[in-house]
Amino acid sequence: MAKTDPARTTKERQSKAEKGAADPLPASLTKSDYQELLLQLYLARYFDVRLIKEKKRGRLRGTLYSSHNQEAILVGSLFGLRPTDWISPIHRDMPAFFLKDMRAGWSNPNRSGMSIEEVCGQVWGKVGSPGRARDNWSHIGSTKHKIIHSTSMLAGTIPAACGVVLADRLDGKDSVALTFNGEGSTAQGVFHEAINFASVHKLPVVTIVENNQWAFGTPAHLEYALEDFARRADGYGIPGLIADGQDVIDVYEKVSEAVAWARSGKGPSIVECKSFRAYGHGDHDDDRAAKYRPKDEVKAGRSRDPIGIMKEKMIELGYLSQKEAEKYPVEGKGANDLTDEDFPKQVVEYLAKGVEFAIASPVPPPEEGAMWVFREVE
Amino acid sequence: MALIENTEKVNYLNALREAIFEEFELNENFIAIGEDIGLLGGAFGVTDGLQARFGTDRVYDAPISEATIVGTACGLCLNGKRAMVEMQFIDFISCGFDQIVNMVATYHYRTAGEVSIPMVIRGPAGAYGGGALYHSQMNEAWFANSPGLKIVCPSTPADAKGLLKSALRDPNPVIFYEIKELYRKRQIEEPVERGDASLVPLGKAKVRREGSDVTIVTYGQNVYHCLDAANNLKAEGFEAEVIDLRTLVPLDKQTVIESMTKTNRLVVVNEAPRTCGFAGEVLANVAEEAFELLDAPPVRISRMDTPVPWAKPLEMHVLPSVESITEAALRTCRY
Ligand SMILES: Cc1ncc(C[n+]2csc(CCOP(=O)(O)OP(=O)(O)O)c2C)c(N)n1
Ligand SMILES: [Mg+2]
Repeated sequence: MAKTDPARTTKERQSKAEKGAADPLPASLTKSDYQELLLQLYLARYFDVRLIKEKKRGRLRGTLYSSHNQEAILVGSLFGLRPTDWISPIHRDMPAFFLKDMRAGWSNPNRSGMSIEEVCGQVWGKVGSPGRARDNWSHIGSTKHKIIHSTSMLAGTIPAACGVVLADRLDGKDSVALTFNGEGSTAQGVFHEAINFASVHKLPVVTIVENNQWAFGTPAHLEYALEDFARRADGYGIPGLIADGQDVIDVYEKVSEAVAWARSGKGPSIVECKSFRAYGHGDHDDDRAAKYRPKDEVKAGRSRDPIGIMKEKMIELGYLSQKEAEKYPVEGKGANDLTDEDFPKQVVEYLAKGVEFAIASPVPPPEEGAMWVFREVE
Repeated sequence: MALIENTEKVNYLNALREAIFEEFELNENFIAIGEDIGLLGGAFGVTDGLQARFGTDRVYDAPISEATIVGTACGLCLNGKRAMVEMQFIDFISCGFDQIVNMVATYHYRTAGEVSIPMVIRGPAGAYGGGALYHSQMNEAWFANSPGLKIVCPSTPADAKGLLKSALRDPNPVIFYEIKELYRKRQIEEPVERGDASLVPLGKAKVRREGSDVTIVTYGQNVYHCLDAANNLKAEGFEAEVIDLRTLVPLDKQTVIESMTKTNRLVVVNEAPRTCGFAGEVLANVAEEAFELLDAPPVRISRMDTPVPWAKPLEMHVLPSVESITEAALRTCRY
């Protein structure tokens, strides 16, 4: 795998495939894949919009870390995974929990990802949460669905990602782990330690860096002194890829390439997805973020909406008509300017099921607060 | 498999080694990770021969990255394995602190009982050997204050083996304090059982010496200081009961309180600093649950609230000694 710009064109790959050459790269995407990807982008956006509204109405506890404008990173990187692959999402990645293995069918109970009911159960702090609402928001996981339970500790789950794939490798399985990290979290000591460990042992761990340029109130240049964070990979002797985080297809291709590299036993890599945090760090920070960030930087950062970019691509490929593209014009709009009518029905209905479940699910009984500190020894 | 030549008496270190070999033999899910534990066999030799016996797939020489060693072990446990982590010195556990208290200790809790992490983190601990600030610590109180971790500290070869085997079989994370000054101490060598006969359950204290005048509660290396102090007390006409806690979490309060129904006097000794040290915890439990049993104010003997200094007179000055324990116990007896 080339270290700097490994992207190869779809055409190149197709011609190679026709010649029957072995190619580690994923099969090129079909029209229906594009349609599915677009729908998933809408779903991730709608999830965020709906939760922002719920939050404003005071119906949810805790903080929402909006993934608005960063959906292509989640959708694109998860799309090429196998059900047996592991992920470790962070605070900004709530949609990742249900997007994982969505290709197997959004409501397929056997897919290797959380149901929308489980995710909403968690957001609403109910018993229906996979963790019975013991920790908040993104701090859930599932060994069954191969999602590492995150904590608040930034970069803290990369070592665990090393461990789960090492266990799989010892058992003769070729799973890969995808870890999600903000660019700010890359300054953590354990970020270095774990990637170093992975590279020493050639572990199939792909480190996705969601580079949204800001870590709470700190700009990226105060977190690391590189023009492209991906260059950090050179120090570990591993590939560092750069993806346009606003372009779901580019993310898909770069991450798929890193995953194929990992699965073939060549070891870890870093994929830097360049993006921009459209709003505040969390919903509590929107007002202050409007002040500590230059207005034109924010304007430019929001101008490349992943949904709009995907639509343009699809029009170009003839996968979407101009008229269809204008049907759900959510790109560039904030939650306040959007209603359910702006989104595809399938997306709205899917989330509605989750919300309905969450509202009906009871809150946990108080005594559970004192339970499960230790596993009882038989 | 003959691990040691002398089947009669085993030292503390070889007892630990036997426990590890036996458990690794029994359960192929065990993975060991630590610094210099494979090729070299560990800084002190506790894992000597382990990699040669079980291979590089089960025994890993890790980079000097305590947080990632613990975190990787956590991931292994999350995915069906059991892990034994060695800290080269227990002092360095602070570099893995976040992973231990936030990731590992909380796993069972935050998954509502679904996941538990069967991990033992063990390492050489304790002062009295000139190890100075960073090779002498007893930092068990940090972890006792972090719910979800069991804490063990054996003082004899038989307990070292039996408790380590139990810790390795426990479904919960266990921090295991090995007393490095005892590793090769000839005077405490003793015969140890093989296999399951050697098991010692976690959470059970042991009365090391019976007596009816004062209860001295301790663990680790201080057990021997307390036994010596008990001999001094005998010369003064008092019989001390010396209790070795062996496991700090969960704490065997019952054995302590039962002893006090006989003695009505309490001295607690540990080599960790005084403030928020585990001795204070034992004392607080007794004050809450057995206040009426006390005929004298209970006493804590601990390290002063200082680091462990290097030069011998300095080190001995700040640590509990046979003299300071004797003196405190006498005062209690004569109160
Ligand atoms: C170890 C640690 N230190 C500090 C924090 C507080 N904190 C939470 S998110 C955040 C900023 C993270 O920035 P980045 O990694 O870029 O992710 P982003 O929020 O931009 O997605 C900080 C400082 C934390 N959660 N964990
Ligand atoms: Mg960021």
